Amino acid sequence: MRRTRTLPQWHGWLFIAPALLFVTVFVLIPLGQLAAMSLTDRSLLGGGKLIGFTNYWRIWNDASFWRALEFTAKYTLVLTPILMGLGFAVALLTVKNTLLKRLTRTIVFLPVVIGLSSSSLLWFWLLDEQVGLLNKLLVDLSLIREPIVWFASADLAFWAVVISITWKVVGFGMVLFVAGIQSINPDILEAALMDGASYWGRVRFIILPLTRRVLLLTTLVSAISSMLAFDQFYIMTSGGPRGQTFTAVYWIYQNSFISFKLGYGAALSIVLTLIILAFSTMQIALTARSAET
Amino acid sequence: MTAAALTSESARTISAPRGGRAARGAYLATAACVAVIAIMAAPMALSFLASIKTAADASAVPPHYLPKALSFENYSKVVNFQAGLATYVGNSALVALMAIAGCIVLAAPAGYGLARFTMRGREVAFLGLLAPIMIPYQALLTPLYLDFAKVGLVNSHLGLAIVHTILQLPFSVFLMRNSFESIPREIEEAAMIDGCSAWRRFTRIFLPLAVPAIVTVALFAFINSWNEFLAALIFMNRETSFTVPILLVSVRIGNHGAVDWGALQASVIISIIPCLAVYLALQRYYVSGLLSGAVK
Amino acid sequence: MTMRTTCGALAAMLVALSAFADVAFADTMTMWVRASGVNAATHLGDLWNSTHPDKIELTTIPDNQMVTKLATGVQAGDVPDLVSFDLIYMPDFMKAGFLVDLTADLKGNPNYASVAQAYKDIATYEGKVYGAGFTPDVSILVWNKDLFKKAGLDPDKPPQTVGEIHEDAKKIRALGADTYGFYFSGACPGCNIFATSPMMVAAGSKMLPANGDDDALTGDGVKDVLEAFKAMWNEGLVPKSAQTDNGANFTGEFKTGKIGIQGTGGFLLSELKKDVPNLNFGVTFLPGVKGGQVSSFVGGDVVAIPVGSKHVPLAKQFIAWELTDEAQLEGLAKNNIVPSRPALADNKYFAADPRVVVTAKAIGVGYVPWVYHFADMVNSDSSPWINMFQRAIFDGDVDGAIKEGREKMKDIAGQ
Repeated sequence: MRRTRTLPQWHGWLFIAPALLFVTVFVLIPLGQLAAMSLTDRSLLGGGKLIGFTNYWRIWNDASFWRALEFTAKYTLVLTPILMGLGFAVALLTVKNTLLKRLTRTIVFLPVVIGLSSSSLLWFWLLDEQVGLLNKLLVDLSLIREPIVWFASADLAFWAVVISITWKVVGFGMVLFVAGIQSINPDILEAALMDGASYWGRVRFIILPLTRRVLLLTTLVSAISSMLAFDQFYIMTSGGPRGQTFTAVYWIYQNSFISFKLGYGAALSIVLTLIILAFSTMQIALTARSAET
Repeated sequence: MTAAALTSESARTISAPRGGRAARGAYLATAACVAVIAIMAAPMALSFLASIKTAADASAVPPHYLPKALSFENYSKVVNFQAGLATYVGNSALVALMAIAGCIVLAAPAGYGLARFTMRGREVAFLGLLAPIMIPYQALLTPLYLDFAKVGLVNSHLGLAIVHTILQLPFSVFLMRNSFESIPREIEEAAMIDGCSAWRRFTRIFLPLAVPAIVTVALFAFINSWNEFLAALIFMNRETSFTVPILLVSVRIGNHGAVDWGALQASVIISIIPCLAVYLALQRYYVSGLLSGAVK
Repeated sequence: MTMRTTCGALAAMLVALSAFADVAFADTMTMWVRASGVNAATHLGDLWNSTHPDKIELTTIPDNQMVTKLATGVQAGDVPDLVSFDLIYMPDFMKAGFLVDLTADLKGNPNYASVAQAYKDIATYEGKVYGAGFTPDVSILVWNKDLFKKAGLDPDKPPQTVGEIHEDAKKIRALGADTYGFYFSGACPGCNIFATSPMMVAAGSKMLPANGDDDALTGDGVKDVLEAFKAMWNEGLVPKSAQTDNGANFTGEFKTGKIGIQGTGGFLLSELKKDVPNLNFGVTFLPGVKGGQVSSFVGGDVVAIPVGSKHVPLAKQFIAWELTDEAQLEGLAKNNIVPSRPALADNKYFAADPRVVVTAKAIGVGYVPWVYHFADMVNSDSSPWINMFQRAIFDGDVDGAIKEGREKMKDIAGQ
């Protein structure tokens, strides 16, 4: 008789315990302190007293915050499909392990390893109207007549940031998708080939469904990090022109460290986290439900 | 089937061309690859070219693509700044190594526990470990700093490594869990028959199989720790403890925000090199690593 | 061994021991400096280290993080022994009680008494002194003499009013497509409070309110200067990139040799001499609207001792030392940096270059605002100051911009 011992499942908790303990001490406790700070009017320079939920009422009436949040949402909704779409396309392109394709993957991944502030300054330089080589290139290629001042208009500035972040981050999605595609059981694809499926047919009916989970989780992580975007706007647009490109976290930064309103900034952070939490829960619930169908 | 064979088999099958369209499809793909390489590499190539110009040339108006005269003054500016590049690199490397260790030590068992056990509340625990990415980390830094100051963890590599681990842990747990999930049941059942304890099963059987995922965790932990600026600046308070990103910011920004473009380019190139080296060294594990990583 | 060799050996040992003790018991002071002041601070630091057994060790903090780092550091008890930062933040820090009271040590010091009045004012709160000028910087007007000559202007006669700047800029712009008459960093609040506001002050305006009841942006100076800038922008006398320049090209543009006139700081002089030695330039005070009106922004860094410093007596020694003739001349003047005592402006190092003398004298005619929440009011990316500037010049609505700026500034001052 085969003796299959089912082990006590609660052992699982022992394995998870160190990570949970770590998160509790180093994330939950500071988060709690942040929440406590949000109930005060504490200044960066110290001091401050308990004021209850006054900060939260102020947020309700803070038009600049909601404008920044709307801008951030617009940025997320535009950037995420671009990143995921291009990432998947490049993954499809380079999934074979030939030398050229491996080289392509390495070059596409390279920008991922540069720091975000370095990469943002690099693009700021490239797009500068006076010293920027990208403008010069466009003029030399006769695509435009004279250098564009990218950051003088909110729309152009928006697209400038989107372009620079796409360049920097597309490799991250690509690498995850490549792994996902390469793990598909080749027998399934053989069978499809035998049945006469075209390349795009194989992509649509086999690859996409089977890499669904990678796609969805990567999209979620990418969207969350876009909602928390800050450095690229701080460095490239300075929130301009006229404050039209402030993101939510940029607004938190302004309030906490420039206006010294640490308590208010804490409240803004809590609100932002709750919004992102709600949004992520919704997305996970939706995808879980459709996975069951 | 081994992982490597799986990789190349499915890869071949996916793009297996049929009949006369074969040559054209392959040709297009090659052209596309070349185009992608050109577009993606251009900014860095331009940056490199600018970094070997003289400082004045790098800020010239109108700019030119190639250097008029080769000069390494931008690099020497960065290398000799204040405490010297070697000090900063040493600090960054030490913190990165500790952060890598922290991530692996915490995420590997957590991933295993989440993947191979079916206790109640497992999903909640997973979401709880993933949730920290939703908090704007700049907001957490102030309370963390004040707490760390009370226990003497400021200006220490350990303190900063802990902060970097906080930032990387969710993604690391995510990777490890998916890696363990994709290991076939048969192996586990075989081990159970042999009477292994959970811990021995973990260390003797699962960990070795998850080495590629561990390497991936290490790679991302390294990259993110190496490039992290804000926490490094807030938690360290002496020049001799500073990390590379702080050096790079200080060397290239002058009065009233004036940017030394030449120094910027040199700093971009300098910051890429270690990460690129680590990536290339781990390439072998890396591709097949994510194979069992974020898959399914 | 004979008595003599024993004594000799003992003596040698004692000498060695005392030298060792000197080193062993020597203290090291730590000091945080702003990244843009690190050059000057290093000269002073090196000079101190070469003449004192106790050493000073500098740590560079990026400019825009200094306030945060100091504020959180003081509250956590994690501070250096000395700190040097943008003097404009003195009021906030003094009010918050972050700095050690230096009144007793400095009030009687004759060197301190001869420091520029602006530096003394900014470091005083409720009658007590909390800091001293350290690495000064001051705003000036520079002009490109070669371009002036080419445009038919007298290269040794700089513009004396804002109107003349406009006229001269027009002539220089006529030289060609690539040459511009004037430059300013249109998206850089700090650059403009530094290099543009003195023109407004020279024309009689008061800039910032000290509290909610105080007035802001008074007089016609603000309007006149903004109108002139708006006109120059509309006539294309300024490169288009100026609109979005957040300071990145504040020094770079003039160095290309294609700009006729620009407001800038004393720090640019040594950069020009080093990076573009062939560029012939002149230095003068920032003018107002009528001949004879001049002003400058007296800026740079002050040095202070944060509460919690572990070497307070030694730090006080350092501050007293840096005010001495020796430190000011050998540390600062020798390296083309303006000393904080205007009396030392005519020194042997500056004699070689009259432009540096002008710069040093500019400290005597300048102003520095004494306000709280300077970052909020001026330096922030969403500040009323930069909004007014951009709305007036790029959107064209000068009056509306000034009115809005005034209201928002008084709002902030009243908090």
